[in-house]
Amino acid sequence: MRINRRDFLKWSVAAVAALKLEMDMDKLNTVMAAETDPPVIWLLGSGCSGCSISTLNVTNPTTIEDVLQNKISMKYDSTLMAASGESAMQALENAANQYNGQFILVIEGAIPGGASKNNCIIGEQNGVPLTMYDAVLKYGPKAKYVVAAGTCASFGGVAAAAPNSTGCVTVKSLLSGKTANPVVNLAGCPVNATVMVQTLLDLILTGVPSLDSYSRPTKYFNRTVHSVCPRRETEEVSQPGKYGCYEEIGCKGPGNLSPCPSLKWNNKQGWCIQSNYPCIGCTSPAFPLNPVISVSSGD
Amino acid sequence: MSTIKLDPVTRLEGHLKVEVTLDANNAVASATVAGMLFRDFENMLLNRPPRDAAFLTQRICGVCPVPQAVASSKAVEKIKGFKPNLQGLMLRNLIQGANFLDSGITHFYHLSLLDYIQGPQMSPWTGGYTQDLRFNATDTQTLTNHYLSALQIRRKANEMAAIFSGKLPHAANIVPGGVTALPSATEITNFRNYLNDIQSFISSTYQSDVNMLASAYSDYYNVGTGYGNLLTFGVFDTNTSGSLLFPAGTVINGTVGAFSEANIKEYNKYSYYSSPSGQAPASGTTTASYGKSGAYTWLKSPRYNDTPFEAGPLARVWVSGDYRNGVSVMDRHMARYVEMSKLVSNMQTWLDQLTPGASGFTNIGDPVSGSASGLTEAPRGAIGHWLSVSSSKISKYQIITPTCWNASPMDDAGNPGPVEKALIGTQVADPAQPVELLRIVHSFDPCTGCSVHVMSPDGVEMSKFVVQPLGK
Ligand code: SF4
Ligand code: SF4
Repeated sequence: MRINRRDFLKWSVAAVAALKLEMDMDKLNTVMAAETDPPVIWLLGSGCSGCSISTLNVTNPTTIEDVLQNKISMKYDSTLMAASGESAMQALENAANQYNGQFILVIEGAIPGGASKNNCIIGEQNGVPLTMYDAVLKYGPKAKYVVAAGTCASFGGVAAAAPNSTGCVTVKSLLSGKTANPVVNLAGCPVNATVMVQTLLDLILTGVPSLDSYSRPTKYFNRTVHSVCPRRETEEVSQPGKYGCYEEIGCKGPGNLSPCPSLKWNNKQGWCIQSNYPCIGCTSPAFPLNPVISVSSGD
Repeated sequence: MSTIKLDPVTRLEGHLKVEVTLDANNAVASATVAGMLFRDFENMLLNRPPRDAAFLTQRICGVCPVPQAVASSKAVEKIKGFKPNLQGLMLRNLIQGANFLDSGITHFYHLSLLDYIQGPQMSPWTGGYTQDLRFNATDTQTLTNHYLSALQIRRKANEMAAIFSGKLPHAANIVPGGVTALPSATEITNFRNYLNDIQSFISSTYQSDVNMLASAYSDYYNVGTGYGNLLTFGVFDTNTSGSLLFPAGTVINGTVGAFSEANIKEYNKYSYYSSPSGQAPASGTTTASYGKSGAYTWLKSPRYNDTPFEAGPLARVWVSGDYRNGVSVMDRHMARYVEMSKLVSNMQTWLDQLTPGASGFTNIGDPVSGSASGLTEAPRGAIGHWLSVSSSKISKYQIITPTCWNASPMDDAGNPGPVEKALIGTQVADPAQPVELLRIVHSFDPCTGCSVHVMSPDGVEMSKFVVQPLGK
């Protein structure tokens, strides 16, 4: 018998729950993403594509070629898709209509609002320019789940840094009261790849995860960087570039919730403090502060 | 005359629109290329400590954040009269080099190849044009397999960089004064293992794939030729006295000439800005004016000696003497391969020059006042940051990114930008599937995140100046 991907996933979840096992991603490898499964639509607003690139770098729970071929059906992603121009914008519209109420909408970047809506136009539909602002309002209410990928989409981030002349707003504020489920904020500049991909799989498998007061999944945003930092017991140093704790030079680790010390970055090859620079607090609603951190100037 | 509009052009970073008119024979008579995102980066940098700019400007572009951090750090260091030690320069080279390798692989396989083959028959790879696909089923399958294996190689290039940079995108530790990593012997070995993997992919798979493309589409040595003017700011220090692996220079009619920063000006008659046109980057201003009459893009027009110049790998390898065949779609692909091949072997040499445990960072602090530029190269071409500091705060910041050179609109004299020029004259076989246009645009590897340009003049009321941002 051939089962489709969604049935397989449901079966996997049930089996895992029954057996109290960790999810075995290897098993998921055997199933192809069926065209009938709940797809992902990924829109880029006022951002740098860093969250897209970070997602391409995923290794845990699995790598991107596996994700795209076997785990999720990516219906619109301007970075990767073959179609261009009108056929791309039609693919977006068709996917949203065909999967109305079913799809996951991922939004990367903040959304220029107010008088500045035209500061971000994502393409033309039927000859009419579609602003990011209108696209989010158009497709957000049709989505089953809405995910804000990265700190710009979640909190404004660099896109909305003072003086924010482009009037950037967040996904959550724009879609307040308009979505089927709460917007999930995956903070990070960029979003950590594991947080991104595992959350998409969690949504498909089990639904909206438990969220903190900033709508971040508590699974990843439950501890400060500082509370599990391997440098907690080391001597405080007075400048970056020396091995030690950076508390006295403004490290944001003590106030910043993030999974960095455990998940690390890029297949665990590094993370900020491991490279001898303080945490700059990139998962925080306040990021980027002025100054970004209060390192002593040294002169 | 009929019109073709491609909005969005996908498979690039950002928001780009291309519109062409065709003559009676379906040749492109005129073309406009437009960046459709404005982020106002330069304003957000004002009144911040100069050291913050390396972090903020990286967020202009997630595809090539490293060159932004390097350009910014160099500008601060120049004001301080400081140059990082050899360890710092080599660490920067290795991180920036890894970013080049990642970007180059991504460009060829993931952003360009689907203009020549049909990828896996599932989304997001369906729905592309089927016009002029020349590879047989076996070769198509081979290239599709390499598309997928290249996803792993580009990821590994990011992992390799993160060994010394903490993370990518957005490196944690490239700052004025150098790079703060203290590489251990184990990390150096780890980096080398990655480098060897990537090097063998480049010398086997990538080399044969780019050659296959060039022979199947050899007519593309005559397509997208544009002006033929090339410009590079130079990149990759090979020692502490300023020698570069790819030196700065210009190319006009195939002849290499010297580069002088003083010859750069920016025009904005056709851009959504009402500020004065024709200024040097250090003294220009930017006032956003969406919908300005005649304007069609958020990108300005940087010009060198009032002439459009193309930036990118072809400019670098031409000036360095590593590749001098011609200027075209296929030459851009070949140049990128030639450059990556040279780069990856030089990265082995730079890695040998690291001293385990040694510091590549000096705590130089923020400058109190002064002005300087920081010039380097991103994978897609010349990048410059112009910084002014007063009372230890940024009083002006301006950026010209590679895509500003390439995807710029017409200048005030009416000269189309380099991509526009490259499109003009192109024969479109089937206007319903204008794949020729995509091949030309993609050969420049545009990145509109990178088309930021911003600034605000000293002593002028900030609220009047919107910096320009990006047009992705
Ligand atoms: S380096 Fe930062 S996060 Fe780590 S222990 Fe020190 S203050 Fe805490
Ligand atoms: S350590 Fe801090 S600044 Fe670095 S990625 Fe994690 S949260 Fe962001």
